[in-house]
Amino acid sequence: MLRAIFLLLACQLAGEAIHRLTGLALPGSVIGMVLLVGWLALVPLERPGLVAVAGWLTAHLAVMFVPAAVGLIDEGAALSAYGIGLVAATIVSTVLTLVVTALVFRWALARFVTEDSA
Amino acid sequence: MNDAALLAAPLFWLTVTLGVFEFFDTASKRSGRHPLCHPVLWSTPVLIGVLLATGTPYTAYKAATMPLSFLLGPAVVGLAVPIWAERVRIRRLAVPISLALLAGAVTSIVSAVGILALFGAPREILASIAPRATTTPVAMAVAGHLGGIPALAAVIVLFAGVVGAMIATPLLNALGLRDYRARGFAIGVAAHGIGAARAFQVDATAGALASLGMALNAVVTAALLSIAALLL
Repeated sequence: MLRAIFLLLACQLAGEAIHRLTGLALPGSVIGMVLLVGWLALVPLERPGLVAVAGWLTAHLAVMFVPAAVGLIDEGAALSAYGIGLVAATIVSTVLTLVVTALVFRWALARFVTEDSA
Repeated sequence: MNDAALLAAPLFWLTVTLGVFEFFDTASKRSGRHPLCHPVLWSTPVLIGVLLATGTPYTAYKAATMPLSFLLGPAVVGLAVPIWAERVRIRRLAVPISLALLAGAVTSIVSAVGILALFGAPREILASIAPRATTTPVAMAVAGHLGGIPALAAVIVLFAGVVGAMIATPLLNALGLRDYRARGFAIGVAAHGIGAARAFQVDATAGALASLGMALNAVVTAALLSIAALLL
């Protein structure tokens, strides 16, 4: 358990270091995620502790971003000025993304993947 | 510790935040996890009300709840685990996954930013909506780096998730898309964790591909926006 927590923090720390050293706009935590995939590929072990810790964290993501969402308290001006635009852009973008992603996936599946024992 | 100091302490605000969240999370469970009952959607305005009622500045609340926000970083790193667990499927479906992911990420960014620009929104607002398809902590981090407002990004992402979870089934049915891999992957790319939660209710394969779509899109959208930020 402790080892899994250390692994997650170490990957995030390395990600933050890379983020700062290279000036990449990619957040340190996202770089850390990529590093962890690389580590899992490099050192193939059964990791029940990591699966449990990472599973617990991702299952409780919602409560962790509540403090950030409460930050809206200071954004009244932006919301009243662009509220309608934000709602319209978010709805249209979500619908288009769903449709485009699903259609491209289906097309590429039929075109490039030979289904054997799917 | 006097009364005023207790009101500014992490103990107080962590207790209140978890209490309010748990209350709405229980209500959300009772509703069968209806997207409109997402606990963040209800906890946020209630907590804003508590801050206003107690005259607490947001900076004090933010500092007090740091232990909770800190967990976002390791949680994002932990998304590596579902990616790794799906490695066999990723290899087999590499082409559809890559092409759909890239098409979806570009569509999401261009359409969201393009439409909002028509409303004359300034750069900080555009930067807040650009990562709207990624999972919330990634969207907040990316928005912050691009000069956007993390709180606004968090709420946009949440709203996008609710929209995606509610329309995905009727929309994809109307398009005649039957393949649960395509359906699941699309909802994960378009509507992150909230979409994935909905996909798991419908079909296990759809759920697995939705989680994968969410995790991969966090990387791809963040990378695309990093490149865009360098060019613009």
